Amino acid sequence: MGEGEKKPKFAVDPNSAKFKLNEIVAKHYKEVQEAKDRGEKIGWCASNFPQEIFQTLGIKVCYPENQAAAIAARGAGQRLCEISEAEGYSNDICAYARISLAHMMVGETPEQNMPLPDFVLCCNNICNCMIKWYENIAKELNIPLILIDIPFNPDYEVSDAQVAYVKSQFLAAIEQLEEITGKKWSDEKFKEIMEISNRTSRAWLEATAYTKYTPSPLNGFDLLNHMAVAVCARGTVEAAEAFETLLEEYKKAVEEGTSTFRAEEKYRIMFEGIACWPHLRTTATGLKSRGINMVATIYADAFGFIYDDFDGLIRAYCNVPNAMNLEHARDKREAIVKKTNTEGLLVHTNRSCKLWSGFMYEMSRQIGEDCQIPVTSFDGDQADPRNFSEAQYETRVQGLTEIMESNKGGKD
Amino acid sequence: MATLNELLENFHDIACSPKKQLNAYLEQGKKVVACVPVYTPEELIHSMGLVPMGAWGADIELKESKRYFPAFICSIMQSILELGIRGEYKGISAIVIPSLCDSLKCLGQNWKYAVKDIPFIPMTYPQNRKPESGKEFTKASYERVIRDLEAATGEKFSEASLAKSNEIYNEHNAAMRKLAEVLEQHPSITAVQRRDIFKSAHFMRKEEHTALVSQLIEALSQVEEKESKIKVITTGILADSDGLLKIFDEHGLQIAADDVAHESRQYRTDVNLELESLEGLADKFSRMDHCSVLYDPEKKRAGYIVDLAKKYKAKGVVVLLTKFCDPEEFDYVMVKKACAEAGIPIIQIEVDRQMVNYEQAGTMMEAFIDML
Ligand code: SF4
Ligand code: SF4
Repeated sequence: MGEGEKKPKFAVDPNSAKFKLNEIVAKHYKEVQEAKDRGEKIGWCASNFPQEIFQTLGIKVCYPENQAAAIAARGAGQRLCEISEAEGYSNDICAYARISLAHMMVGETPEQNMPLPDFVLCCNNICNCMIKWYENIAKELNIPLILIDIPFNPDYEVSDAQVAYVKSQFLAAIEQLEEITGKKWSDEKFKEIMEISNRTSRAWLEATAYTKYTPSPLNGFDLLNHMAVAVCARGTVEAAEAFETLLEEYKKAVEEGTSTFRAEEKYRIMFEGIACWPHLRTTATGLKSRGINMVATIYADAFGFIYDDFDGLIRAYCNVPNAMNLEHARDKREAIVKKTNTEGLLVHTNRSCKLWSGFMYEMSRQIGEDCQIPVTSFDGDQADPRNFSEAQYETRVQGLTEIMESNKGGKD
Repeated sequence: MATLNELLENFHDIACSPKKQLNAYLEQGKKVVACVPVYTPEELIHSMGLVPMGAWGADIELKESKRYFPAFICSIMQSILELGIRGEYKGISAIVIPSLCDSLKCLGQNWKYAVKDIPFIPMTYPQNRKPESGKEFTKASYERVIRDLEAATGEKFSEASLAKSNEIYNEHNAAMRKLAEVLEQHPSITAVQRRDIFKSAHFMRKEEHTALVSQLIEALSQVEEKESKIKVITTGILADSDGLLKIFDEHGLQIAADDVAHESRQYRTDVNLELESLEGLADKFSRMDHCSVLYDPEKKRAGYIVDLAKKYKAKGVVVLLTKFCDPEEFDYVMVKKACAEAGIPIIQIEVDRQMVNYEQAGTMMEAFIDML
């Protein structure tokens, strides 16, 4: 069953951003399937692979990370993880990878289906785990793997040497894809795609920036859903338009004093890390019931790729959050905290994600000190439901709330 | 001429007391630079008159590192940081940390704040290391390491000295490859002793180690071998723990060859001495393969292990999986499949540097031996 066929519980206004964004995701999966059925070669793609390449070539791809998140949110994370584990994959491996490898093995996953790929596009600017995961897919399915290696940058600025290295891989990837799919590159089309991508990114950044208002016109958890579109359709006019609609809605909400956060906004926090998809409701309720709105997340920035030219594009992909050194990553977050008047930081210590969690203790300590906000963490996992404890989450969030409350007292 | 036993004891002493080695070098007025796994450009460090010393962590209890790392980061990273915080590396001029896996990326970032008195020098290797652009990037990263080393130690780099160091490292590589071959012929050398010889290489200047290894090879050539054991191949990042290696020895297993990062993976590839020295070193990295932290789209490493087992007529493959090492965890499934196809028994034993109880590992190994 496709998403579009599901009976909505209540009618969503077809002119609303929410409707448009949901449609884009549904259409995205449908189009990949149709392309596959037509006999076109389709790919699986890492979330931060430069989408400008295949958008320009007119190649359809889908995103295992989005799929894994959807599967986990629909309650099938553990089932798929266990399929991979039975194959010999350690349960310490990133749950997105375990889910994806399981889907590759079974070929059919009703919670969120996706056709099997004819090639895979990997970019490790989010993690090196990605490389291993995609290597195994390529080997098991005997299909080509294209890797754009964007190394973790130990420095604040991206070096010219890195730009040159990434650029040459970008060009090599185009050639490889032309060969695999028979499609041809067009510079003109590339320019057009860059423009659309920038337009989408600008709208996304502007819309997400609305959390700076107090109260915020949106529940920050909304962004976690919209993100899928920022990942899978950044280079399309529909996505640009949908985010522009979203922006208009937020503007109007601020004017009218309404919000999608359906509670009194008593506290404003930054949420660090990927959502706990299998426990989304529990985690969201734990916040909402205390009047805590998430108004700050690095995710908002993560998919806003703004650039002027080809070099700028390369630098943008080198500057994604997980490829930055601690100081750069910290400063970005501190800027967000300040812009949004965030009062506390809640860190998801995500068992799946070594890179994201591996220097988060130190970074969040620094953010807490520099911004003078309390910091609390909880243990969880973005897709394996077994690595989360509701009791711990409740205690930690309660603790954070109490500090935020007493800080307010102090400030009065 | 030292006897075989004296040599083995010497290797053991060096392998088990890196601190003593460090202090001895410092007393000689030498500057020491720590090298974190899996690969660092040791030749560069050596060429500047500095002593590269391997920092692969230690079997210790973790306390301080927990303030920086969550529990699901491998114990190699955790224990390196723990040692750093505890001051065990005092006197070292700098630490070179490559970013070959996600946990290594994090170690570098944490190091800057956890161990402020020892400068962190990042080594960024490309994964697309084979094309020209990859080699150029490797070279640019080396140049950055050189700049940082110069700043940290005051020593100067020269291409000419690097050419000499490249040669010394090639000779050491050759000695270590020869050693592995010779040890295969000598089942009487225990798994623990084998570890000592390989491990000591990380705590010595390579020309000194080559000399010792050559003596050992010479001494072994006098030994008439009567023993015979069950041959196996080991694979993994580290095969360091006494408790674990004793299981091999107690059960009559001989490590006929290894694909262990801490051991043979270090010595497979030489620098092409015809090339200009820095370029040659970058070229060397581009030709390195069969390792979980080096991009391997065809998963050639799995076949490599099977070939290794066949070449040495090993009865099975023992995978020593460092807990929380995701590069190895992904490869394991491919290695397992390749071994199954080739009809080679394989066993996976999870290890970490806090392991105290080897009973379960022993039981698993016994079951495995019954299969062989
Ligand atoms: S969750 Fe972390 S480890 Fe997993 S794919 Fe994403 S960035 Fe990589
Ligand atoms: S995760 Fe594996 S490759 Fe990375 S540092 Fe740990 S043992 Fe080494």
